[in-house]
Amino acid sequence: MMDVLHWDGTLSAKDFRIGAFAFAQKWESRNLAFPPWSWLPCPKHPWLAPPKEEGYLSLEKICISRPNEEEDIDQISQIETGEEETCCSGNEDVLDDATLVQSNHHELHYCDFQIVYSSTFRVPVLYFRAYCSDGRPLPLDEIEKELPACSSKELSKKKWTFITQEEHPYLKRPWYKLHPCGTAEWMKLLFLSDNANPKFEVVLELYLLSWFSVVGQVFGLRISFKISD
Amino acid sequence: MAAESPNSARKVVVHLRATGDAPILKQAKFKILGTDKFAKVIDFLRRQLHRDTLFVYVNSAFSPNPDELVIDLYDNFGFDGKLVVNYACSMAWG
Repeated sequence: MMDVLHWDGTLSAKDFRIGAFAFAQKWESRNLAFPPWSWLPCPKHPWLAPPKEEGYLSLEKICISRPNEEEDIDQISQIETGEEETCCSGNEDVLDDATLVQSNHHELHYCDFQIVYSSTFRVPVLYFRAYCSDGRPLPLDEIEKELPACSSKELSKKKWTFITQEEHPYLKRPWYKLHPCGTAEWMKLLFLSDNANPKFEVVLELYLLSWFSVVGQVFGLRISFKISD
Repeated sequence: MAAESPNSARKVVVHLRATGDAPILKQAKFKILGTDKFAKVIDFLRRQLHRDTLFVYVNSAFSPNPDELVIDLYDNFGFDGKLVVNYACSMAWG
């Protein structure tokens, strides 16, 4: 039995699979507005020993275009707080965002997401790729326009060190991913900060849900936390 | 848990808690309208700590979306009459 107090925030490949199934189940029961995640097995490579039931979670064709009205509401709430430096952007940026959304109004953009286990970092990694309704892939600067303003600001400050493009480990096509190297650290914080000493089974059950509450914010995706259980 | 209140002007007590190596605020408790978004708490933290990149989360290992209403967070994660909001200065990404 793992001692959670000494846990390093990471998961084994086997635990990732358990956690992924728990996450997919909770997602399906709580996120009625979204399709469910699918678990897909990793394609086998003839030159490697067969993986022990390795796989990844996939969610396809999520519309990431934000409607005009939402943009206007964000603008109004920022002004009303009367703050000079808001979380998301200065007044100038808000006006720019509104203009961009209007010009893209008729074209909807979609995103495929995958949650893939990184054996290097021993944590889940979010991969994504975006495209138009006609299938044309969207480059990162186009995707950025669809992200919540807070995310775009983070992206522009870090200049592509936050999101990288690489060949997908299994599908061998270019995808983007969110950098996983800080994940273990903040996963530890999430579970160990309130002096509770949870059992590792509980941590595993909630791991991907907690993880997603952080990474999903980049895209403005969220899971209902209104727990019925 | 909190008693139901029809009063839309109901305020929530928020307690900001430093974790990791984050600096501790002198003024760590305040009240905020339940109808305000969590973004307002994040903004406040960023201004108080003079940092843009903060990792902010609540009990039950959950990092709320900035659009969530404070009252919803209190109803689900609050206890003892307050909502504890943890913050750390580690980078979320990279």
